[in-house]
Amino acid sequence: MNALNTARDAVTAVLLPAGAAFCLLGALGLLRFPDTGSRLHAAAKAQTLGLLLVLVGTAVQMPLRHAPVLLLVALFQLLTAPVTSQIIGRAAYRAQALDHRLLLRDELAERLEREGTPAYGQEREADEEDEGR
Amino acid sequence: MTVLYDSVLAVVAAAGLLTLLRLVRGPGALDRIMALDVLATMIIAGTAVGMAARGDPTPLPVLVVLALLAFIGSVTAAHLVEKREGMR
Amino acid sequence: MNGLERARRGVRHLPMIAWLWLLWILLWGSVDLEVLLGGLAVALALVAAFPLPPALPRAVPRPLRIGALLVHLLTDLVRSGATAAWQALRHGPRTSAAIVEVELRVDSDLLITAVAELTTMTPGTLVAEIDRRRRLLYVHTLPVHDERDIHHRKSEVQMVERRVARAIGHGESFEGFDGIDGPSSRRKGG
Repeated sequence: MNALNTARDAVTAVLLPAGAAFCLLGALGLLRFPDTGSRLHAAAKAQTLGLLLVLVGTAVQMPLRHAPVLLLVALFQLLTAPVTSQIIGRAAYRAQALDHRLLLRDELAERLEREGTPAYGQEREADEEDEGR
Repeated sequence: MTVLYDSVLAVVAAAGLLTLLRLVRGPGALDRIMALDVLATMIIAGTAVGMAARGDPTPLPVLVVLALLAFIGSVTAAHLVEKREGMR
Repeated sequence: MNGLERARRGVRHLPMIAWLWLLWILLWGSVDLEVLLGGLAVALALVAAFPLPPALPRAVPRPLRIGALLVHLLTDLVRSGATAAWQALRHGPRTSAAIVEVELRVDSDLLITAVAELTTMTPGTLVAEIDRRRRLLYVHTLPVHDERDIHHRKSEVQMVERRVARAIGHGESFEGFDGIDGPSSRRKGG
């Protein structure tokens, strides 16, 4: 029983600091990156990884009936973080919040220029119909 | 172990402060939404560490609700921003 | 006939009911009789009130491949967290990015969603725009220095796509295929 506790503590002692470190790195990325698009990388990846490590490190310490809930939160985070970042990324592109000087190449803009129509023209019309304007 | 938990909490708190800085600085609405989302995950992380430190599972439902709310809130807000820009 | 059809429709909802039930039990953290019965009632009510179309029409489950996909997902997450953090520390404000167009071969909502999710989890790539109709992903990629990097990123995303199609696509194992998704992950060329 004691050996089990030591093992638990060891796992926690590795995972929690690692998770906290990634949280800090994510926050640093959020501050240091120059535009919305690159900041999203820090938010979506470093941050998610940090939270996941912390949650697993905590779940190890919890009694068996509570641990699954923490893992559930971790799973939820894993599923939703890409969705959030995709939606913010899309909004950032459409709102022109990306710094185009940082982009080596923008194939979406190339295509829009080629075709002369917004890729999301239909969707936008649908949105406007929703609002009844 | 107590030292470990305390230092981990301190690091997460520092990360939270940095995120707060981004939240204040902006510059765009999307940056603030992103910062808020990150802040929510940091609050989740901090609460989890606190739970592990005390061995007290009481805040568990808070974590679940916070995770759900952060997701729905960020997605809704980002969607609204996109719509507003589309109106122009 | 009618009864049979109805029974079949009920069976299709079983996984969802089981998942909701499990979720309820996990959230309550106990297996008391009230929790079990209440959970079952809530799950049944939810499925009856908000029926969803099955995401994978009679798919052949491939647990090994799905397991491999999950392992890839976790290692990718660790690698991408590390890359993003390193980029932030090393280059910070002077990072260079690109938006890359990636053509997909899979053609089902579920598969494209899965590819987009996993792409966000692979190092240095983040899906910004999805053109569902033409099966195009527009991927914001972070450390990009020249054309070679761009090509490299494209092939990385397509590798993710291949893994997803192998794990949960139903083009390869065609039996029982419903036709709802169209001839989805069939290989076209290389």
